[in-house]
Amino acid sequence: MEAIEDNMGTAAHDLTTLEHKEKALARYKMERDWFAFLLEAAGGMDTPEGKLQVKLLTILLDSKEKVISSVMNDTPFVAAYYCTAPEILNAMNLPWFMIMETPFLAASAPYLLDDLRGAEEMGMGTDLCSAIRLPMYYIESGLMPVPSAVVGLLSPCDGTTMLQQVLQHNPAWKNVPLFAPDPPYTSDERAIRYFANELRTMVSFLEEKTGRKMDMHRLREVCEESNRTYKLWQEYNELRRAVPCPHGWEIGGAQAFAVSQCFVAGDPRCTDWFQQLLECGEIKVKEGRGANEYFPEKIRILWFDIMPYGWVFEFMPWLEQEWGAILVMDMFSNFPYTLIDTSSEETMFHDLAKRNLMDVPMIRQARGTAENFSSDITRMVKDYKIDCVIWPGHMGHKDGAATAGIMRETCRGLGVPFLHIGLDLFDRRYTSVEEVKDKVSEFFRGMGLG
Amino acid sequence: MTAFDDHIRQVTEFVATMRQQGRPVRQFALPNDANHLRAGLPIQVGAGANPGIILRSDTFVELGNPDAGSCGFGLWTENPSLLEDGRVTLIGPDITESPLGSLPFGQVVMVGGAGLIADDQVAIGQAQVVADQIEGYMVRSSSRNIWSRVSKRVGARGFSFDTLARSLMFLIKSALPKVESVEIAFVTSSKDDLLTLNQIAESAQAIGRAALKEHWKARGYDLDCDLHCGSCHDKTVCDDIRKVVATRLRKDKEALGDDAQ
Repeated sequence: MEAIEDNMGTAAHDLTTLEHKEKALARYKMERDWFAFLLEAAGGMDTPEGKLQVKLLTILLDSKEKVISSVMNDTPFVAAYYCTAPEILNAMNLPWFMIMETPFLAASAPYLLDDLRGAEEMGMGTDLCSAIRLPMYYIESGLMPVPSAVVGLLSPCDGTTMLQQVLQHNPAWKNVPLFAPDPPYTSDERAIRYFANELRTMVSFLEEKTGRKMDMHRLREVCEESNRTYKLWQEYNELRRAVPCPHGWEIGGAQAFAVSQCFVAGDPRCTDWFQQLLECGEIKVKEGRGANEYFPEKIRILWFDIMPYGWVFEFMPWLEQEWGAILVMDMFSNFPYTLIDTSSEETMFHDLAKRNLMDVPMIRQARGTAENFSSDITRMVKDYKIDCVIWPGHMGHKDGAATAGIMRETCRGLGVPFLHIGLDLFDRRYTSVEEVKDKVSEFFRGMGLG
Repeated sequence: MTAFDDHIRQVTEFVATMRQQGRPVRQFALPNDANHLRAGLPIQVGAGANPGIILRSDTFVELGNPDAGSCGFGLWTENPSLLEDGRVTLIGPDITESPLGSLPFGQVVMVGGAGLIADDQVAIGQAQVVADQIEGYMVRSSSRNIWSRVSKRVGARGFSFDTLARSLMFLIKSALPKVESVEIAFVTSSKDDLLTLNQIAESAQAIGRAALKEHWKARGYDLDCDLHCGSCHDKTVCDDIRKVVATRLRKDKEALGDDAQ
């Protein structure tokens, strides 16, 4: 590949190791500062939910600081994913960041659109999932810290596999040791045992490449803490069945996913966050208060995908204000998890494999057979008293697009309206926010919901 | 013979084994008619019967939380004579006899009807999703296990496994006219007993998944992808590309090594 210039005019392939490190660190710090700014703003909110936001951002910032410290001091750290058993990284005391961190967690950052343009200027196809395109851009333009080791991801889509290929060819990354646990196609006991063995191999790989050792006693502690966290999450999710739903898009749902597995999995601070979330929710349910004090709940939505992070602030509040439409459940807030049996090393790896192969969002739906698209919708519609299902049809979720018919037919059987939009969750230029609003309004009106 | 007949026999054998091993096994007969089932209930049943949610502080008994153990599955047959309509089997303590407010929970719902066909599998599964249809009873949103709560309010009115079985039988018979007989087994004796029951569940669930696949195939949708590398006519091309990529990577690394020297 030719040397590529980023939108700051620097050819990443021409950088020395030190220059690359400084450039990546500068960007990583910029992202940290964005969250520090959000923390400062949240600090001024004297509400239980505001304090919840402060706790979340504190956990997030701490994980970012650990990565920054590792880069600066040349100590081991790892690039990985939420679905590659982050409990293992915590047990091995390995700081880590998610390769898709920016689209998943920092899509509200002011530079996102510039980065998407930068990716296009590099020649990346605009039909390639933005969540994949962005990290590719960061790798190619030297904006992502080069880790000591990479835990790759080979599911749920071809795009993730391609992402590993990009970093394997990048001059700064190609000598970074990479291990990608191999996910089987099926979801039976044999598949779980196979993947458990892959996770064990991942541990050996990390031990060899980072020098950090796995202590099984510590893994048990982390998994037990993770279980405490997940138990509270499930308890909280029951609250979202209440009519009106105590929280909408802003609190509880997607945050719960992030706190449980995107920063530090199995940490008492995460459990504490969920405890407070639960208390906030219980108070509102007991008082019969809904998500939005000013706009009462009229339509209960299941948004069956990631939230539209790239334009979430323009769309989700509009749904509440214009239609009284509350996001009661989404793919990432759903709770299909089983707890980890910590009675032995074997049971821990078995259940971590099960969780990361069959429970975590997107992997659960799109890795193997497609039955969860139907069964999860059925269960959520019934449990959460859903009035309509929206499959946003993110341009990168081509695997899901293939099952839109299954989802539509499932909803028809359940008697709930189904909307398939077709958009980019991160890039507002693909389908404009106004166009999405029009489609949703037309749908609500046509189905007699509004 | 339908796919689950053998599993129904295994459940019968499981009950017999539990009895032989000295577990407390009680069996009682409920009415066959849906209206009679409903008439004997101390609670409301039907859509919206449980409009609220049951908070921790409102819970009388929790059934099947992960620490206690859980196993739930459904079976069906086109041979109703394999079942005794209205029979409920309870292995272990009843809800009203729970000392700690928590019990292990196994639930096997078996339905029979001469007119049932494989395509009814989805409807049979959906009819067992309780949602808000049983007053004071909430099945938590756990996709793999059955984990539920009985509220203090209905606990005080004597909510028992008799109540739960009546409610489930009423809901199933109301939703599925083809069903002629329903039999339910509850297990609350121990987590270990549920592990034994789980072996039957796993085998039944594998058959259930295959039936689901056929259900969708008949509608023109493939849940499964039958293609794999070994069956693809482009395999040789892909293999060649991989070899080229591997060679290129090796050469790049060698070049990098030379530069370093």
